Amino acid sequence: MNGQPAIQVRDLHKRFGDLHAVKGISFTVPAGQIFSLLGPNGAGKSTTISILSCLLQPTSGDALVMGHSVQREPMAVKAAIGVVPQEIALYEDLSARENLDFWGKMVGLRGAALRQRVDEVLEIIGLADRQKGRVAKFSGGMKRRLNIGIALLHRPQVIIMDEPTVGIDPQTRRNILDSVKELNRQGMTVLYTTHYMEEAQELSDQIAIMDQGRIIAQGTHQDLVQIVGELDRVDLTLNALPDWVTDRWQQIPGVQKVIVGAPSHPQATDGERTVTLLVDDSNLVLPRLFESATQAGVRITSVTIQEPNLEAVFLHLTGRALRDE
Amino acid sequence: MKTLDIARKDLLRSSRSFSVWVFGLAVPLLTSGIFFFAFGGLGDGGFDLPVTQVVVANLDSPVNGFSAGQLLLNFLKAEDFKEILAVSEVADAVTARRVVDQQQAGLAVILPADLTAALVRPGERAVVELYQDPTLTLGPGIVSGIIGQFVDGLIGSNIAANVVTAQLARYGHPIDAATSQAIAVEYGRWAAALGAHQQQETSALLEIHRPAVEPGSEDVRSRIVSLIMAGMMVFFVFFTGAASAENLLAEEEAGTLARLFTTPTPISAILAGRMVATLVTLILQVVMLVTASALLFHVHWGSPAPAMGVAAGMILLAAGFGLFLTSLLKDRRQGGLVYGGVLTVMGNLGMINIFTAQVAGPARQIFDTLSLLVPQGWAVRGWQLLQAGGGIGDVLVTVLVMVSLAGVFFAAGLLRFRKRFA
Repeated sequence: MNGQPAIQVRDLHKRFGDLHAVKGISFTVPAGQIFSLLGPNGAGKSTTISILSCLLQPTSGDALVMGHSVQREPMAVKAAIGVVPQEIALYEDLSARENLDFWGKMVGLRGAALRQRVDEVLEIIGLADRQKGRVAKFSGGMKRRLNIGIALLHRPQVIIMDEPTVGIDPQTRRNILDSVKELNRQGMTVLYTTHYMEEAQELSDQIAIMDQGRIIAQGTHQDLVQIVGELDRVDLTLNALPDWVTDRWQQIPGVQKVIVGAPSHPQATDGERTVTLLVDDSNLVLPRLFESATQAGVRITSVTIQEPNLEAVFLHLTGRALRDE
Repeated sequence: MKTLDIARKDLLRSSRSFSVWVFGLAVPLLTSGIFFFAFGGLGDGGFDLPVTQVVVANLDSPVNGFSAGQLLLNFLKAEDFKEILAVSEVADAVTARRVVDQQQAGLAVILPADLTAALVRPGERAVVELYQDPTLTLGPGIVSGIIGQFVDGLIGSNIAANVVTAQLARYGHPIDAATSQAIAVEYGRWAAALGAHQQQETSALLEIHRPAVEPGSEDVRSRIVSLIMAGMMVFFVFFTGAASAENLLAEEEAGTLARLFTTPTPISAILAGRMVATLVTLILQVVMLVTASALLFHVHWGSPAPAMGVAAGMILLAAGFGLFLTSLLKDRRQGGLVYGGVLTVMGNLGMINIFTAQVAGPARQIFDTLSLLVPQGWAVRGWQLLQAGGGIGDVLVTVLVMVSLAGVFFAAGLLRFRKRFA
């Protein structure tokens, strides 16, 4: 690896007509790390990934993958990466093995080497016993595994995974996350996009939080959580929401931020409203919140307290929740 | 190498596609098969009309030894009508009608006693009665036509006698009734003889000479089925060309095309692979259709060498046109409309000179020109020339036009796709 970064992104811009999808982002992914781009839908993650996969040309700026420019040396970049697209991209009328054979040839494998590698990948993704089955007959989880397996065929130095866990069941999701960690253990650099805070937190050596085409924060999980310091996140569900609530609760000592309506608490029902607060110490603040609510005749129907996390960071930086998008 | 890998993958997928087999092979064969059997396939090559039972009550009285009724009766009993008419005589009109009422005959022809007199004597009139089984239409209709034609000819004798009598009187040579009657009788005999000649497609005044034709080419059914099969093949080959190119859109929508672009595979190899698969698919389709139709329906495709030239031109043109047409589409939803509408209209326009094969004169030229406004028309023209016995020299221009058009369409389609995927 020669200490060379696996990915270097420099002042990258991408415009689609009037839409400025990526607004001058820069980041570096050291070789052998798992790097996550975390952000809501529309943040610019997939556009960034598409540029790194040589599917889109940047409007300005550049990105290097294993030292190769995506603009000047796309074939070298493509040879170095394995891409797992967000949507399952397989030939459903072919079998799992036929799919792997074909995609293996597309990345330059031939003959005995191809057959051996296909066998290995089938074992890795747990489809060796279903290799002759048509993909159309596979479950969603099996397709996801094959979708990932294709990207592993040529043992790429960098794996780019675009929200590979969207819309899948918890068990498959768990399998995929374990696979990502295993690939990283084998030395592969992983660029992973997600809008699930928990995934970024569990997997990543480094995380870049994206919003509206920009990276608004970047670092390790610990670095990012430090942005909100030791703040607790308190989600309240109220049976009504008087106009004064934001101003009055903002005045309570220890309350750093009050956000109305985001995100919905799981217990909230129709007619109820939710308020999220970032506070220094929830034990000190909560009694004051109950007191003011009682005085105003408002009933607090549920309370959830969370330790500082990436969700709180995003909330703190944007005033919006990751999953509200 | 990757081009062939992509082509192999596309062919494997096509071979597993139900619609490729149905629309590429089964439907064109089925359509031609329908025409084959509709024109009496597996039979003796002609129409099988049911024999119509006809009863004739000939009450006609001869005049000067001439009987129009007997003449008509002999005419209906002629050898040439034996395959469609079975004529028997009854004594009177009541019996004739009863036979029809009892459905023992489909038609009764009642010739009145004064039939001949009406035809040869000026000013007289007689009515031939046709009494028909209302449940039958075709057979009685044919007999009505035959009798109508015959009686019209005989009526002409009456008119001719009247004209002759009037003209002679005008120029000072009046003739008596007996002479006038004799003229009418002679004219009637002449008219009867003329009818008999017409029945044999000859005329005393007209000789028809047919050009020499190759043995076997008189088989009308074979010619019609061959033409239709050629039209069907052109029609569906162009569909296959477009549908095969449409796979690019399908792959684009499925995400596999984008995934291919993330591999170190040049766009040119991806497009070339698709084209190779399209050409191989079309070659297989044409070979199977030509072979199957020749074996099943005895379709005549012309001499092998020029036929291969026309087939190659058609295949290239269908592939190129399909690629170009598909490059204009945004997605497969548009494809449904375009393939279902545009290709159908163009295909039918290309085949218009097959549908109008019987039309002659200036309209023929219009239809021929119209069909050449669409690529399918050139392919149809090539097969028509071959089926008419044309050789390499006859189809050379058509093949060259097809290859040139294919080149233009290929270039335009590839440029558009390269720009789209760049």
